[in-house]
Amino acid sequence: MQRVDRRIIYTLIFISVIVPTLWPLQLPTAVTPETQSFFNAVDSLPSGSRILFPFDCWPSTLAETEPMAVAALRHCFRKDLRVVGLSNVGMGGPSVLERVLLQVGGEFGKEYGTDYVNLGYKANYQAVLLGMGSKIEDIFPTDHHGTRLAELPLMREVPNYDSLRFTVIISDNAMVDYWVSLVNARYGMPMVAAVTAVMAPKQLSYVQAHQLQGLLGGMKGAAEYERLIGAIDKANRGMDSQSLIHLLVIGFIVLGNVGYFVTRDKRRAPAGQQG
Amino acid sequence: MRRLRPGAVVPPAVLLIVLFHVGTALADAPAPSGAFRIERLNILVFALIFSAAVLWYIRRAVRGETFYIRPLSGLNAVDEAVGRATEMGRPIIFIPGTGELDQIQTIAGLSVLGRVAATTARCRTPLRVPVLYPLPMAAAQETVKQAYLDEGITDPLDPQTVQYVAGESFSFSARIGGMMAREKPAAAIYMGQFTAESLLIAEMGQAVGAIQIAGTAEPEQLPFFIAACDYTLIGEEFYAASAYLSNEPKMLGALRGQDLMKVVIVVVVVAGVVSATVGWGEEIWRVLLAAL
Amino acid sequence: MKHRLPILVAFISGAIMIVAFFGRGSVVDAVSDEALRGQTIVAGIALLLGVFSIVQVHWGRITTHHSDRVYSAVLLLCLAMMAGFGVFAGVDAGGVYDWLFQKIQAPMMATMFSMLAFFIASAAYRAFRARTIPSTILLVTAIVVMLGRIPMGQYLYDGLPSWANWIMVVPSVAVQRGIIIGAALGAASMSLRILLGIERTYLGRG
Repeated sequence: MQRVDRRIIYTLIFISVIVPTLWPLQLPTAVTPETQSFFNAVDSLPSGSRILFPFDCWPSTLAETEPMAVAALRHCFRKDLRVVGLSNVGMGGPSVLERVLLQVGGEFGKEYGTDYVNLGYKANYQAVLLGMGSKIEDIFPTDHHGTRLAELPLMREVPNYDSLRFTVIISDNAMVDYWVSLVNARYGMPMVAAVTAVMAPKQLSYVQAHQLQGLLGGMKGAAEYERLIGAIDKANRGMDSQSLIHLLVIGFIVLGNVGYFVTRDKRRAPAGQQG
Repeated sequence: MRRLRPGAVVPPAVLLIVLFHVGTALADAPAPSGAFRIERLNILVFALIFSAAVLWYIRRAVRGETFYIRPLSGLNAVDEAVGRATEMGRPIIFIPGTGELDQIQTIAGLSVLGRVAATTARCRTPLRVPVLYPLPMAAAQETVKQAYLDEGITDPLDPQTVQYVAGESFSFSARIGGMMAREKPAAAIYMGQFTAESLLIAEMGQAVGAIQIAGTAEPEQLPFFIAACDYTLIGEEFYAASAYLSNEPKMLGALRGQDLMKVVIVVVVVAGVVSATVGWGEEIWRVLLAAL
Repeated sequence: MKHRLPILVAFISGAIMIVAFFGRGSVVDAVSDEALRGQTIVAGIALLLGVFSIVQVHWGRITTHHSDRVYSAVLLLCLAMMAGFGVFAGVDAGGVYDWLFQKIQAPMMATMFSMLAFFIASAAYRAFRARTIPSTILLVTAIVVMLGRIPMGQYLYDGLPSWANWIMVVPSVAVQRGIIIGAALGAASMSLRILLGIERTYLGRG
C-alpha cells in the first residue's frame, strides 16, 4: 500500500480532471476574507476611475491567471472603470492581455482607446515601473498596436501614476513584489493582486501589512470572485476537478500511511509471532 | 568558541527600534530635497550596523578565533553523492537555479558549483550543468573550467558539460526531464533560485533514482524540494553553503556577523510584539521625545 | 591584475548602485540609469552566446551520429524557423511568429505546468508519512488545508474553511516571514562578501 505505482496515481488524477470537465458537479465555493477585500476595494472605486491593469503572466499559468483576469476585468468594466493595461512579461503577456481585453470589453460594449488601452511590453521592469511615475509616454511612446499615446483619449488623461486611482495586478512571478516595493511604497498607489495559488501564502504578508488591499489566490480565488460578481465561468468549472484531485491526494496519503503503519508493525513483531 | 553576549545584541536592537520610529516620522513628513534621501536613513544605518557586525567577526576570524557552524547534512551529502556517481559510472547534474546572473541566489549557486566541480574533477565524474540564461552559462563555464584546471585537467571543457537550455523555465524543465531519462544521473544538485519548475525537475530526478540535494531561498518552492529531495538547504543555509564547504575563516566570520544581526532582529520583533500587545510603544516614544 | 580587475569592477559597480539608492541628483540618477541600460544591453548580447551554445551542442550531436541526433535536428530546425519568421515576417499579433507561439509554444508551456498536478500527487503520497511528531503535524495540517480549500470540506465540517484559512494566514505567513528575513540577511552577507572581494567563487576562483 505504500508503494503504489506512480502510473496508477497519474491515471486516477487524469480521470479526476476529465470526469468533472465532462459532467460538471457545480460545487459551491466559500469566499475567503482576502477575496472579499479584493472585491470591496474594486467595488468602492467611483465610476469612471482610471486604473492600471498589469498582466505580468507567462502563458504557462493561464489556467489560473486568465480566469482571475477575466473576472477582475468584468468587475472593472461593470463599474465603468477605465483600464490602462500593460505587461512586464515579453513572451505572450501583451497578446494574452489583448485577447482578454477584447473579449471582456466586447461583452460590455467598451471602446479601445477611450475605455481601455493596452500599452504592451517594455524591457527592464525597474525602468518601466519607476519611469511611469514621471511620464508614461517616456516609457511607452506608443501602445501595443503602435498608436501614439497622444492619439488615445484615455492616455491623454493619464500622464503618470498621479492620474491613476488604483492598480489591479495579475501576476505569476515576483513582479508583485516589485509593484509593491517600487510603486506602492514610493508613490502610495493602492493596489490589489491576483496571483497563482503557490504564490498566495507569501503575498498574504503584504495583505496583512496593508500594502495590498486584497488578494486572489489561484483558481479558487478566481472561482470565489466569479461568485461575488455573479458571473460563474471557467474557474468554478475548474474547481470541480480541483476538489476531486484534493480528495484523491488525501486518499493516497491516508493509504500510504496505513501501509506504513502496517509494515512497521510487521517489522517490529518478532519473527515467530507474525500473522 | 564564544556565545553571543547581551552586550553585543541590546545596543543594536535599541538603535533599530529608535530607527523604526524615525523612519516612520520621516515617511510621514513632506518630501525632502537634497543630495541624500533622508527618508532612507534608517536603511543606511541598518546597513552600516550589519556591515560593521560582519566585518568585526571577519576580523576576529582572521586573527584565529574559531566559530562553530552546525552540521548541514545536505552539504555533507555532496561528497557522498559524488562518490555514488563515480561508483555507478553515471553523471551528476548540477542546476545553479533558473535565475539571471543579477540574482544573488544564482551567484550563491555558482559558488557551490565551484566546490562541486572541484570534487567531480578529482573523482573524474562526468558533470552536467544545464543553465537557463546565457550569462549564468558563461559564469558557470568559467567556474567549472577553473575548478578543472585547479585539479590538473587541462583538456578543453566539453560543450556538453555546461549547456544553455532554452530561455524559458518550462522548456528548461522539459529538457532536464529528457536529460535525466536518457543519462540517468546518480546525483542531482539544485542550488539557486527556482520557480514552478522545481517540483517538475525534482520529481523527474526521483523517478530515475538520483540522490537529490536542493538549496533555495524561495519560500514557495521549499515545500516542493523538501517533499521530493533527499536533502534540502533552507534560506540562509543555502547562502552559507559556500562558506561551509570552503571552511575559510573570513567566510565563517561573515556567517557569524550575519547570525548576530538575526538575533538583533529577533529581539526587536519580540520587543515590538510586547509593546504592541500591551500598548507601550507610543508611550515610550512620547517619553523619549519629551526627554530630547 | 587579471584576478583583481573583476573584483575591482564588482566593487565599483556595487558602490555606484549603493550611492544611487541613497543619493539624489542628476549625476547620480544619470549614472544609475546608464548602469541599468548597460545591464539590459549586456543581457541582450549574451543571448547570442546562448544561441551559439545550443547550436554548438546539437550540431555536434548531428555530426557525431549521436543516438538523439534526430531530436537535435528538430531543435535546430525549430530554432531557425522561429528566428527566421521573427526577423523577416515580424512578431506582431496575427503574424506567423505570433501564431506559432500562441498555438504551439504556449500550449506546450501550459502542458508542462499542468504536469505539476500529477507530480504533486506522487510527491505528497511519497513524502507525507507520520514517522515523527513534526511529520505527523505536517501531514494533519496538509489534510486540513486541502479539505478546507474545497467545497467538500465545508460539507464535512462548517468550520474547516476558516481553519484552513487561519493556517494559511497565521502560522504559514509567520514561517515564510522568518525564512524571508533569514534569507535576506544571508543575501546581504553574501552581497557584502562579493563587494569586498571575499567571495570569489563566482569568478571561477576558489
